[in-house]
Amino acid sequence: MSATGAHVPRGALLPSFCRHLAAAAALVAAFAIVPAHAADPSKVIRHVFPAAETGFDPAGVQDLYSATIEQMLFETLLTYDYLARPAKLVPLTADAMPVVSDGGKTYTVRIRKGIHFIDDPVFKGRKRELTAADYAYSLKRLVDPKLRSPWAWLVEGKIVGLDEVAEAAKASGNFDYDAKVAGIETPDRYTLRIRLKEPDYNLPYILAHEPTSAVAREVIEAYRDVSGRAMANPVGTGAYKLKQWMRSSKIVLEANPDFRGFTWDFTSNDPDDQPLIAAMKGKKMPQVGRIEVSIIEEDQARLLAFQNGELDLMDLGGPLAPNVLDGGKLKPEFVKKGVKLSRIVDPALAYVYWNLQDPIVGGLTKDKIALRRAMAMAYNVDDEVRVVRNGQAIEAQYPIPPGVVGHDPKYRSSIRFDPAGANQLLDAVGYRKGPDGWRNLPDGKPFTIRYASRPDSLGRQLDELWKKALDSISVRMEVQKDKFPELLKLERQCKLMMRTASWIADYPDADNFMQLLYGKNIGQNNNGCAKIPEYDKLYEQTTRMPPSDERDRLYHEMTRLIEVYAPWRLDVLTYRNMLVSPRVQGYKKHPILHAEWAFVDIGRPVAGVPSAAGGKTVPD
Amino acid sequence: MGAYIVRRLWQMLPTMLGVILLVFFLFNWVGGDPAYVLAGKISNQEQIDNIRRQLGVDQPYWVQLGIFIKQVVTADFGASWSTNERVSHILMTRLGPSLTVVVPLVILATLISIGLALAVAYVRGSLTDRMVMIVCTVGLSVSILVYIIVFQYVFAYKLGWFPVQGWGDGFLENLFVYASLPILIGLVVSIAPELRLYRTFVLDEIYQDYVRTARAKGVSENRIMWIHVLRNASIPIITNLMAGIPGLLLGSFLIERFFSIPGIGREVILAVERSDFPVIKAITVYVAFATIATNLLADLTYKAVDPRVQLK
Repeated sequence: MSATGAHVPRGALLPSFCRHLAAAAALVAAFAIVPAHAADPSKVIRHVFPAAETGFDPAGVQDLYSATIEQMLFETLLTYDYLARPAKLVPLTADAMPVVSDGGKTYTVRIRKGIHFIDDPVFKGRKRELTAADYAYSLKRLVDPKLRSPWAWLVEGKIVGLDEVAEAAKASGNFDYDAKVAGIETPDRYTLRIRLKEPDYNLPYILAHEPTSAVAREVIEAYRDVSGRAMANPVGTGAYKLKQWMRSSKIVLEANPDFRGFTWDFTSNDPDDQPLIAAMKGKKMPQVGRIEVSIIEEDQARLLAFQNGELDLMDLGGPLAPNVLDGGKLKPEFVKKGVKLSRIVDPALAYVYWNLQDPIVGGLTKDKIALRRAMAMAYNVDDEVRVVRNGQAIEAQYPIPPGVVGHDPKYRSSIRFDPAGANQLLDAVGYRKGPDGWRNLPDGKPFTIRYASRPDSLGRQLDELWKKALDSISVRMEVQKDKFPELLKLERQCKLMMRTASWIADYPDADNFMQLLYGKNIGQNNNGCAKIPEYDKLYEQTTRMPPSDERDRLYHEMTRLIEVYAPWRLDVLTYRNMLVSPRVQGYKKHPILHAEWAFVDIGRPVAGVPSAAGGKTVPD
Repeated sequence: MGAYIVRRLWQMLPTMLGVILLVFFLFNWVGGDPAYVLAGKISNQEQIDNIRRQLGVDQPYWVQLGIFIKQVVTADFGASWSTNERVSHILMTRLGPSLTVVVPLVILATLISIGLALAVAYVRGSLTDRMVMIVCTVGLSVSILVYIIVFQYVFAYKLGWFPVQGWGDGFLENLFVYASLPILIGLVVSIAPELRLYRTFVLDEIYQDYVRTARAKGVSENRIMWIHVLRNASIPIITNLMAGIPGLLLGSFLIERFFSIPGIGREVILAVERSDFPVIKAITVYVAFATIATNLLADLTYKAVDPRVQLK
């Protein structure tokens, strides 16, 4: 596509995309089937979640912690290379990367033969092989109205014929899983063909997303509850199986004895990765036989448990960072103990939006744009990084975070902290100060900005920073406090004036972030209710393009439009700091994969000391 | 006594109705609409309406209230909105860990408090009595949160006498390994106020004529304190004890969160965070019921302890 939106033949771009896929396919070797897995039951990893899981039905849950467990129990067609950055897709149960045809509208995937679900009474003693029909069933489940999946958007409106079956289900009350869906075909036992209404180059990412993991229809039908979800009986083909589940307290996974395994053969050009590669290369995986996950909500308890040797992996949240980190590095006492830090910038973005339909701050007229831009310039993100985020964040310059395809590390936003400039801007467009010292609208009427936030400590800290910022430009501000569900409700109805929101990547492509300002997503995830015709036009062009320099150029233009019209103030990118105990080998935090347990090893047990759960080991 | 129990049970009805109305209107007023969270990051109005329909929150208030009353009557609160787990299963599985902490705590705290109260009341006015009272005053001035943080740091992390957190599979393992430190903290927190209170009850009795008469008859001091005084002081003690039991189940949520004990208190916090109304409803109703039941039990115990008490 050209900048003006002139048409370029799709075929000119497609080969480049296919080359990407072909290159990724070369990484299949990393997941080459080996005769048997090498998991050692005495090798135990103890991980911690700061919040409770909800269940283990890929189509039914949406929280990070349930999804983390699901990634070990179930398998998607594709996954991500462990070390490649930015994240790169590779086949998982697929034989190779999907074959893309029909100008990006048809994807054909071959599934490996000989993959089996874990044994379950539902299978009546027979080995149950994974087939293309299982993936077809899993995709259909996402739009079953009874199941009310939070992931319906992944396929809704995209696959030929699927919406029609969903509509029929709404009328009849039952989703007909046997009904023919033209866009989901299984021409043979191991081939899945997906036909799309429009080209969508993000489909491979969706096929790597855990809601599309394969489930067996007979298992779901045997264990489903009234809403059609099988939350407590996960039966998958993954590297691990659920051994014990003490809800909201403890989850124990055990290596799946039938798992095909793979050889650790990842590569990286990053010098920091070379020791890790040297230690792990050639090992049969998974090595770890048992994973114990504790749910500990309180920060102190989590950190003490880690320091006490009760945990091996821990996500160090912002509030704990000053106890453990000195800037971006571990404090000496942790280094001395052999603790390691794996630190990445999360593929997530915090941003402040203004409601473009609001009578005070909305609209695309000069005075409204100036008001929003002045507020954006009055806010000091450095203060937020230092005070609120404990130094565990950086100011976002670009709406596409690092680790996401389309990110530009060199880009610098034109919106900078400049309260003096903000005051001048407001003076220039007629927001004069009244006798009370507060600015009035250009027509002389008083106005107040309502900043919405949650009634928690983060919300209160942000309230104070925004109050300070708007005080500095003499704009009256009040805080609108409400519970998160109510804020979401008001937001969807375009009834909030401004709020700090955040978005974490569902898949590592720029589209997942740039769609947040698309006009047609109002009422869904366009929480600022922005409708900027120039932006929408460019966005629509990008959706028809595979990742390319040309698409990146359009994203640059769209980012400049965000700065010009100021529907958002880009806020921060947060660090994820994973603390790793000395006995864990080969760990590197992945930006998209939730759990890395299948890629790591545990040091040898200490002689004479039991190495079962809680046992002590030392690094090799 | 049978007629008395029936009458008291009958009187529970308006109380329970009041609880039901309070919970229902409070949740609908401040609870928030869960459909917007359950719908996921990207959803449209049609999906949100579908969820509201399935949860029944699109029904008129009087219909929702009717369903709530039916749930209370049938003791079937359906399934959790966020996990789809049956509420009855949630309560059954979370009750055990809570009781593992609360039952030994109540027994130990009561026995220790009563024993110490009798002892310091016996030496009332002495230096020992005053020192114990000062320690109690200081002790009950400190927040439970401070005790938890300090004890967890010192006894679990620094000294390594207990695990920092966790919960196992076996009852004995849980009681002696994982629940020990939480029980110790619970004792420190509860003994100070109880000791002060029970000492007052005992002192009220010590100056009674029957004590003087017993001494004049040559009854031993031990018998006077442990039999005569304690029996007469036991009615307010029972009242205090019974009134506190239902609250303990929920009130231990801080301990349960810090020590990762999968109990009822922790579940309540989780349910509130998730706007999980079925769970909140069930726990509130059962705690209200337990409060009324323990009050009734306390009244019946009065009769057993003191035959002069008439149940009318």
